[in-house]
Order: sequence, then structure tokens, then C-alpha cells
Amino acid sequence: MTTWAMVFDLKRCIGCNACVVACKMENALPEDVFFTRTFVIEVGAFPEVRRVYIPTLCNQCQDAPCETACPSGATESRADGIVMVDQDKCIGCSACAVACPYDNRSQLTQEALDGSYFGPGQQAAFELTRGERWQAGTVTKCDFCSRRVDAGQEPACVASCPTDARIFGDRDDPDSAPSRLIRQRNGRPPMPEKNTRPNVFYVD
Amino acid sequence: MSEMQMVGDSFRLGYRAQRHWDGAMAGAFFCGELGAGLFLAAMVLEVVPGMLLGLLLTGVGKPILHFAHLGAPGKSWRAILRPDRSWTSRGLIAIVVFCGAGLLHTVNAATGDVIPFDRAWQVLAGAAALVVLTYQGFAMSHSTAIALWSTAMMPIAGLLYGLAGGVIVSLLLRSGAAGPLLMVAQGLLLAVGVMLFCLLYAAQHGSPGGRLSAELLFRGRYARWFHGVVVAVGLVLPTLAFWLGGGGPINLAIAAAGVLAGFLAFRILVFKAGVYEPVMDFSALLGDSGKAIP
Repeated sequence: MTTWAMVFDLKRCIGCNACVVACKMENALPEDVFFTRTFVIEVGAFPEVRRVYIPTLCNQCQDAPCETACPSGATESRADGIVMVDQDKCIGCSACAVACPYDNRSQLTQEALDGSYFGPGQQAAFELTRGERWQAGTVTKCDFCSRRVDAGQEPACVASCPTDARIFGDRDDPDSAPSRLIRQRNGRPPMPEKNTRPNVFYVD
Repeated sequence: MSEMQMVGDSFRLGYRAQRHWDGAMAGAFFCGELGAGLFLAAMVLEVVPGMLLGLLLTGVGKPILHFAHLGAPGKSWRAILRPDRSWTSRGLIAIVVFCGAGLLHTVNAATGDVIPFDRAWQVLAGAAALVVLTYQGFAMSHSTAIALWSTAMMPIAGLLYGLAGGVIVSLLLRSGAAGPLLMVAQGLLLAVGVMLFCLLYAAQHGSPGGRLSAELLFRGRYARWFHGVVVAVGLVLPTLAFWLGGGGPINLAIAAAGVLAGFLAFRILVFKAGVYEPVMDFSALLGDSGKAIP
């Protein structure tokens, strides 16, 4: 069995947002729709102030509340742990979005899909692929770049990270990089109190 | 806890306002619960126009508002497919049963038992109405994402508000209320008040997200609407109308308008005051000293 997981190394993340841009391009996402973000917060008091960057994406939870809330069967988990959204089945009710404790779901409007970063009618090649991938009105989210993963590649955000702050691999393999990091550096999931059993972990 | 920690849709770490369920969804919840409560109350009081109005609110008003919210309304039939896990699916089935059985019973109540098995339709419609009154609250409380919603008070809120609105509107359609019925209406208003207190108390003493939601409603940006419409217009005004003027038609009209305004405002505000908590606990970042991580 394979269970795909990702580990964020907070000591390595420099907040460059290369992952965000790579995700945008890979998934042809419209403006204001993000599958991954790098949150920032300043901690401490002068003169001991520092910025902390916290990357986030869909945590591909093993007990995914979005899957339980979905009334149409559009959200289903694959055997390898990736939580998928079937665009043909999604009715756009957003029940999944209000069920996700991590606020990692976005609704795609027709206006957003028709829009362009370069002005009206100036869609770039990657923006033109939106029509093939997305249906207006549906709710969507990160799927660990399942198309790339199925082809033996890493997710786009992992491949583009210049500091290797995102580590992707098989959590069922005890020798994989995520498994070792979680074990050796006490990897912790986001918001464990929500009991969603995420497949994403943070180490610092 | 401060409203300053609300970060909107930026890349800042902090609390984010719930924005996925909007006014149309609040209106749909309002119509569904009021319609089911009105039907139940009108059925008990034998007010046929009230039963019909209840069915229209739930069977027509609620779907129209849901369609206004849905991203892909053409596929909305699919919402019935997962009753094994989703409260939305269970509720949709209950609405279909409620409208079907309720219509058959209403026809019988209006024309005098022209359709057989009236008792069965009545029981079925009543049971389905109870599910319609509560399933939206269960759908909200089932999720732990938004602390304000993640409480057993949510289904009770739908039940009490729906019944309170339903009873008072039924009495208005009956053009008056005698002593015991007036007591029932006042008792339901009191129960709504207790429910609101428990909801805010649980939020205030729960997780940080719940505290922020309670603060938004009680002292923050929605306090004016919460105190003014939900409490003053929705609870105090109807109670005063009953106390000072009894159960006459004018008092009932004032009370009904107040309760319905308060109910709708409650539904909207509960959506607006819902917040997502930060993905990372602030205390984990700040450390015990509240200073920077070394």
C-alpha cells in the first residue's frame, strides 16, 4: 500500500511563494483561487522579532470531514490517501468548504474562469487549459497534483521549492523521507484537535 | 482575543471569516425551518392556510434560495445520493417526504378526507417536519471546522426558532389566541432566549475561534445587529406585545414580525460570525514567554 504524505520543514521555508506560483500554473487556477498558500506571521517583540512562514494546502485527511459532508458523492478518497473531487458530480453547495477546518476549498465561478492575469481577452496558454480541467460553480481543492503523482512525478509545489521545505513521499514506507522526518523530528499534523488525521505534517 | 486577528483572504496567519455560505443560504435555512415549524403548529391548531403556507415556504421558497446559492444547480438532484453520511442528503429526503405527505394531509384537512390513509400522511408529515427543523443544525454542528457552529445548540436553535415562528404565525392566521396558546408562544420565546444564551456561553468558553465568534456577535462588528434585531426586535418586542396587549390580532402581527425578523437575522449572523481558526496555534509559535522562538 501507498499513502502519499507531505512534510513541511518550517526551518527551511523562506516564504518565497515559488510553490504558490507553480501550483497556480500547474492547475491553471484563476485569480483569488489558491490550492496552496504560505502564511506569514511576525512573532516576538523588538528587537527579537522574526517572521515565520507556514505553508498550507489540502491535508488529504484520512478522516476527511469534507468527504462526510459532501451530499453528492463528489468528494471521495483514493486508496493512496489522496482526497479527490469529481467535477462532474459536484453541485457547488459548499458543504465541504464549511466542513474543512483548514479552509482549503475554493468555489470556481464562471467569471473567475473567464478572467486573465494579463487583462480581458489576453489569456495565457496555461490559462486557456482551465476549460478542460474545471467546471464553473464547482468547489475544488489541492489533490497533491494527482496527475503528476500518477505519472511518477512530484507535486508541482514540491518540485519548485528551492529550499526543499516540502518533502513528499510514501508514508507507509518507513524509509521514505517523510516517514523519517516525522519520526526523527516529531512531525505534528495541523490542528490535531480536529481529529481529521491529516497526511500533512510540520517539523521545526 | 481581538477582532484585529481577522485576516480576511490575505496570506497572513489568523482567523478567517466563513464566506462560503451566504445570505441566500441563510434565507433557505430560514424558509425551511419556519415552513416546517409553521406546518407543525398549524396542523396541531387545524389552521389549513398555515399548513399550506408552511409547505410553500419549505417546498418552494427554500429550494429557490438553495438554487440561488448552488454553483451547479443543474446537478442539484445529486444532493440526495449520500444519506449514509451527509446530513444534507438526509434533509433533502425529509423535505421530499414532508412536502408529499404534508400536501396529501393538507388536501384532506381542507376538503374532508378525500385521500385514504390520512392518519399515515399526518404522522409521516409531522415526523419529516421534525427532521426538516433540525437537519440543518445537525449539518452545521457535525463539522468541527467552525467553533460557533460545532455545538449541540445548532439543531435546537432550528427547532425552537421554527416552532416559535410557526406557533405565532399560526395564531395570527387564526386571528387571535386564548390563554394557554399564548403561554405556549411565550414559553417558546423564553426557550429561544435560553438557547441564545447557551450558544454564546458555549462559544465564549470554548475554543479561541468560538470566543472570537461570540465577541463578534456580542461586542464586535455584528453586535448592533445581534442586540438590536435578534434580541430586542426578535425576543423583547414580541414578549412585550404579549404581556402588554394579550393575544389580539395586532399584537400577534407585531410579535410575528418581530420573531421572524429576529429569526432571519440570527440565521444570517450565525453564518457571518463563523470563523476558521488559524492552521497553527499561536501559542506554539510564540512559546511560553510570548517572545520570539529562539
